[in-house]
Amino acid sequence: MVTADQFAHELQQALDRDVLKRLPLTFLPFVNEQLRRWEFLFPNERQSVERLLVYVDGLSDAQSTALFHDVVELEEKMGVRHWHFSTGEQTIQNSSLLARSSYFQEWRSAVQEVFDAADKHAAQTNAGAESARNRLVLMGIPRRLPVNSNTWVRWQGIGRPVALNLSELPPGQTSLEALLPSLESVVSSGSDSNNPAARNVTASASADVWMIDAGKSLVEAALPPVGKSASDSAFILLSYDRLDTFRGNFSRAMNTMRKDLSDADAVYDRLRKVNVETWCPPEVESSAAVREYVRALFLSGNGAVIFGNSFVQWGASEAFRRARPYVLTAQFGVRDKPKPFTGVAVFDNPNEVNPAPAVEDLPGSALDAEMLSLYVWLSALRYNEYQSHTACICIAESLEQAYVIAPDDFPSLSAQAPVSLAHLGEVLRNWVAFKRA
Amino acid sequence: MRVTPGVGPDLGLDNRGCMDLCFDPSKRNFLRAAGLLAAGMMVPQLRGQRRSESTGRDGPKVLLVIVGGMRRAETFSREGLENIPHLVNDLMPQSRFYLHMQNAGVTAHFNAISSILTGNWQRVDDWGKLAPTTPTIFEQFRKGLRANRSDTWMVASNKALTNMIGASSASGYGPEYGANVVFPKQLMLLAVEEALRSGRTANMADRARVEAELESALEGSNYEGLGWNVFDAADQLDPRVRGSIEAAIAGFVHSGGPTSGDELTFFMTREVMRKFAPNMLVVALSDVEAAHFGSYAMHVGGIRTADRIAYQLWQEVQSNPDYRGKTTMIVLPEFGRDPDGSTTNGFFNHRANEPSTRDTWMMTLGAGVEKPEFVERTIHHIDVCPTVAGLLGYRPLESQGVRLKEFHV
Repeated sequence: MVTADQFAHELQQALDRDVLKRLPLTFLPFVNEQLRRWEFLFPNERQSVERLLVYVDGLSDAQSTALFHDVVELEEKMGVRHWHFSTGEQTIQNSSLLARSSYFQEWRSAVQEVFDAADKHAAQTNAGAESARNRLVLMGIPRRLPVNSNTWVRWQGIGRPVALNLSELPPGQTSLEALLPSLESVVSSGSDSNNPAARNVTASASADVWMIDAGKSLVEAALPPVGKSASDSAFILLSYDRLDTFRGNFSRAMNTMRKDLSDADAVYDRLRKVNVETWCPPEVESSAAVREYVRALFLSGNGAVIFGNSFVQWGASEAFRRARPYVLTAQFGVRDKPKPFTGVAVFDNPNEVNPAPAVEDLPGSALDAEMLSLYVWLSALRYNEYQSHTACICIAESLEQAYVIAPDDFPSLSAQAPVSLAHLGEVLRNWVAFKRA
Repeated sequence: MRVTPGVGPDLGLDNRGCMDLCFDPSKRNFLRAAGLLAAGMMVPQLRGQRRSESTGRDGPKVLLVIVGGMRRAETFSREGLENIPHLVNDLMPQSRFYLHMQNAGVTAHFNAISSILTGNWQRVDDWGKLAPTTPTIFEQFRKGLRANRSDTWMVASNKALTNMIGASSASGYGPEYGANVVFPKQLMLLAVEEALRSGRTANMADRARVEAELESALEGSNYEGLGWNVFDAADQLDPRVRGSIEAAIAGFVHSGGPTSGDELTFFMTREVMRKFAPNMLVVALSDVEAAHFGSYAMHVGGIRTADRIAYQLWQEVQSNPDYRGKTTMIVLPEFGRDPDGSTTNGFFNHRANEPSTRDTWMMTLGAGVEKPEFVERTIHHIDVCPTVAGLLGYRPLESQGVRLKEFHV
């Protein structure tokens, strides 16, 4: 439970003045849940709640009524006050009630307008000023995955392919693993100590640099050396394979769920509260915010529990939404084909329900990675922070190419002569290290 | 800053920023790619077939094939055509094809399918805990024409459905007039569960033993765990159905082909057609829903499976004397899927209020189609129910949907 001294002074004042009483009903599950889970939030999330509540607190009654007018009117039309609607936390029941209302889309728009107003206010008062830094989204599709030579068509010309020279890449190592030292040399200074919302969180929860791996080789290459604590890592490290115990326990619980909303909420409630520390590898266990991020990631579906590449994409998407990292590195991998007859049981461990040998689906995994790498970049683009000063590099090793989307001031990478990984590493290091005035 | 309060991290607010990977705006290119009208009518395939044990109703028949969420981008677009070779090359040349079918309701499975079946946008519980609030096609047909339960069937792979889909909660209608509803995929899930529980998982890796496992699941569960509703038998399987299921399982296991939920649904549907020849048969396919787990390859694989199964069902219609010449087949997706770049995670889901999610298509074939044609005006999922009423010859109840004027009563 969060204690009062964890909140910034302005936010605490707003709460003391009962700002929550001024919020519409449908805002309460989100806001209450965020306040209750304050210690598990990333700095960016804290800022968001803080901006909203401080903004509302500063409004007169008439201004506040005007701000929420559309939302409240829609709540009336939807009949929210007659629903069995939790105001303490977000539930599946809440989502279901909202989503099947014919006013759902209007409600979504009205809610967004409120947040936009709070953000605008924060920007005007300079409270939410961003420190201007270059950002990097670096993705890798390992050589084993036969990427289609037309794959970049999917990106619709938003960047350009660049030939890579991977001849010096040691066997068994991926290009991202080879680029790791270049990133490590600059990210240790990555945590944003000037960010007021970051003051009360641990180094890892400052969440500036993320590494998400569909397997484990990339994360294991980035782990601190023996003798150093996992919390010493400059990265937030997430490996699908290294989270197998965590995933297994979640899958088993989801399997027990009957086809019933109240039952689903009961299972999810249990999974929200269960102690997961013993299920985590050290690099996750060492940070409460990261542990809770993984729990929320698995609870929010989108295949993160089932497939490594979905874990990478959805994990990256949630990292952008929640933490706005400066550097995010994502490595895709290989999944197996569904086994005959038992492939329907998606939440069961395929090797437990069917002893037939697993068969890798290399073309299918490649197609998944092609689509999901695009989705990683599109999910970043939803946020203002990534719409300028951000370079996106997606390496398809089987094509010996990288797709590069970058602002004009990104160093030129030759379109003719293949670029070596050493040169690419240097370019990325300089890009990430550069701080704008 | 984009933050979504209220309903979970995957219910974002901003669906902008999507890439336009949708329908090729040049219809001419699309038509050319589709080989419109290039091929002649398919020659009916003759196959020796026993007569069904239906009630002997010889009237018109409707086979309604509802596929889960598929975007235009992966189906009827220039890039998508390769995923649907049978729909494009084998069926389209003889079809009346509606270019735009709009799902204006809740784009979730139970509500979408129950809206199609009732002619009214349904807004009930997404998990199938509540029945549709207005009478289904099955009830209207059975009550209107005093038809037997064996004349109305629904065979579905979709896990989001329950037997509540077979009849509404409307007064004067309800289960008394409902359809037989079977979920073959549930049988597979149950077999896996039981094999796991009893330490017989080795059997699931052996094609020869899988048949016994599936039959054991059917027997051992006393059929309750399947959620089926067949001939009002709540606690035991009607003996008239057992033979069909066993034949479907045998066909499924020994075909040597793919083994997904939709495959078993196909074999079950074909057995129902051969044994009962219902006048109103609804098939719901859901392999495409692998998209929810983020595998684009498996989602596209599901589209290809649906394409093939739709064609195989049409072949069955053509070769089965109970169906040949008097059947209208309708194929449509429940809805599309979300656009690339949406806050709802693109093809994974189907919640965005966007054309990619709401704008689909519908193909109609057979007895109700006088001539192949394209229809450009936008129609709606709720128009299916009153149109089917016209095809089956009963007076539809008043509903939000309208009968499609191309189908003459």
